[in-house]
Amino acid sequence: MVLVLILAAIPLITSSRTTLNLWTEIYILGVFAMSYDILLGYTGIVSFGHALFFGTGAYMTGIIIKNTGPTLSNLLLAVLGTLFLAVVISLIIGYLSLRVKDVYYAMITLAFAELFFISAEKWRSITNGADGFSFQVPSFLQNRVVFYYGILIFLVLVVLLLRRFIDSPVGRVLQAIRENEKRAEFLGYDVLKFKLISTVVAGVVASLAGIAWALQQRFVSTGVMAVDKTIDALLMTTIGGTGTLYGALIGSGLTTMAKNQLAGFAKFNPIFERWYIIFGLLYILIVLFFPGGIIGTWNRIWTKK
Amino acid sequence: MDIFMNLTLSGLSTGMMIFLLASGLSLIFGLMGVLNFAHGSIFMWGAYSGVWIYFRTQSFTLAILTGMMMGMALGWLAERTIIRRVYGRPIDQILITTGLMLVLNEVLKAVFGPNIIAVPIPPLLAGSWELGRIIIVKYRVFTIFVGLVVAAAVHLILTRTRVGMIVRAGVQNQEMVQVLGINIRQVFSLVFMFGAGLAALGGVMMAPAIGAINPGMGLENQMLAFIVVVIGGMGSILGSALASVLVGLAGVYTAWFLPEAALAVNVLFMTVVLLIKPSGLFGMGGEQNR
Repeated sequence: MVLVLILAAIPLITSSRTTLNLWTEIYILGVFAMSYDILLGYTGIVSFGHALFFGTGAYMTGIIIKNTGPTLSNLLLAVLGTLFLAVVISLIIGYLSLRVKDVYYAMITLAFAELFFISAEKWRSITNGADGFSFQVPSFLQNRVVFYYGILIFLVLVVLLLRRFIDSPVGRVLQAIRENEKRAEFLGYDVLKFKLISTVVAGVVASLAGIAWALQQRFVSTGVMAVDKTIDALLMTTIGGTGTLYGALIGSGLTTMAKNQLAGFAKFNPIFERWYIIFGLLYILIVLFFPGGIIGTWNRIWTKK
Repeated sequence: MDIFMNLTLSGLSTGMMIFLLASGLSLIFGLMGVLNFAHGSIFMWGAYSGVWIYFRTQSFTLAILTGMMMGMALGWLAERTIIRRVYGRPIDQILITTGLMLVLNEVLKAVFGPNIIAVPIPPLLAGSWELGRIIIVKYRVFTIFVGLVVAAAVHLILTRTRVGMIVRAGVQNQEMVQVLGINIRQVFSLVFMFGAGLAALGGVMMAPAIGAINPGMGLENQMLAFIVVVIGGMGSILGSALASVLVGLAGVYTAWFLPEAALAVNVLFMTVVLLIKPSGLFGMGGEQNR
């Protein structure tokens, strides 16, 4: 609660557009990462296709607003359209891919992600391919400060929603599946159905993040569907700590800040251009030695005291 | 007619190079249950290091050797430091090899630069023969030849040597092999190294075939290799070979008629196989440590 107040105060402290943009980005990607955590941290599924939901949300928003005009009603249309698509896509893909083991699931989701990516690239008439297109946002969202608060509220809502989901009976079953899938099955739970629910929830939230992203960037290109985005989510969630929603937020904060700040340091030393390497190594170390990520390790230090 | 010859040759050639990448993946997956997401990166490193040496020495043979050694070195290093800590934990394996892929890709970009590098075909293998209206590209025949030789060699090693026998047995039932007193960990290291070397070889071969190398080729081809492993079945060289040819041909033919659908067709194959016979057409992997 305190944290939210602090974050809410940020626009009052600085009027720097860059800072506001940075924080907005952190929130949006944080939501994306949290949706990924539902899959990875709470259900124990490794998906490589998450970016396709994010991208679908972004493209829907961009395409609808570009073609019908930047008004609130069109935005709502885009949101509804995205939600519908997200549910349908996650059900179809989920149904096809969840029936196989983890490893094959990872491969299939990667394949689907590639398919979506290539479709976005080739369907130039609608998506303008790899060049992407920009568009206007509804006037009430053009003020950066208003947008910032809007996204902050969005973030808080999503956190509350996901928290409720995780603590609900469905969420508990998902965690049981993560811990020991066979046992959950023996206990009589229809594992496939629950995994499907998890996929739909995660997919929908990710697509909402995609919408927000499109609104923030005012530009959509194939980058939003790229496997890189999914890997970003993976990094953020793991480094911050899987299985804890806040870990994803911390991960997002760290990664996004690093992206923006370290790129500036590149002037001093070219090694900073490849800061991704450091993140990759950090990620490997965390998976090997600190499975709880930042939050997990923090918790462990606390309980030891 | 000549178009079909051309397409078939091209498809077979692509298939063979994918086979080099996929056979290692298949063995590693079948024997150790590890799905190496970094396999494509090793493939890429093989290509880049081979090309680098080729530019400096103009010797394709040296390039091939360097590429293979680079692959084996990376494979050995990866196995020793990272892979062996996550045996038996499939989720962690996926996560870790993904991280490895990330690091390898980024280091590659740091060392060699992020741009596309053009690669010429070695003069000896360049050009084509003409049989009437059919043009046969020499380099493609070369790749098919190498692919067949490797396939034969691997098959012989697997069926005629003691190590090969242990590997086959390990693919079918890992625990049993250990119970019989054989140090399966050493065999793991060997297979991983060997698989990595094969992948790197595939990379060096593919570089002149496409004419250019870029930092994205790791992931692109790895995707195809995954598809091959799923269709052909893990742990089966025969399966990998047939599936590679299938994938190669399907990709090339689809690209000719309907370019956008090339990857989709292969993904479709993979989905169908996964739904009907998840162990692949020739799969013989055991189920112990999944």
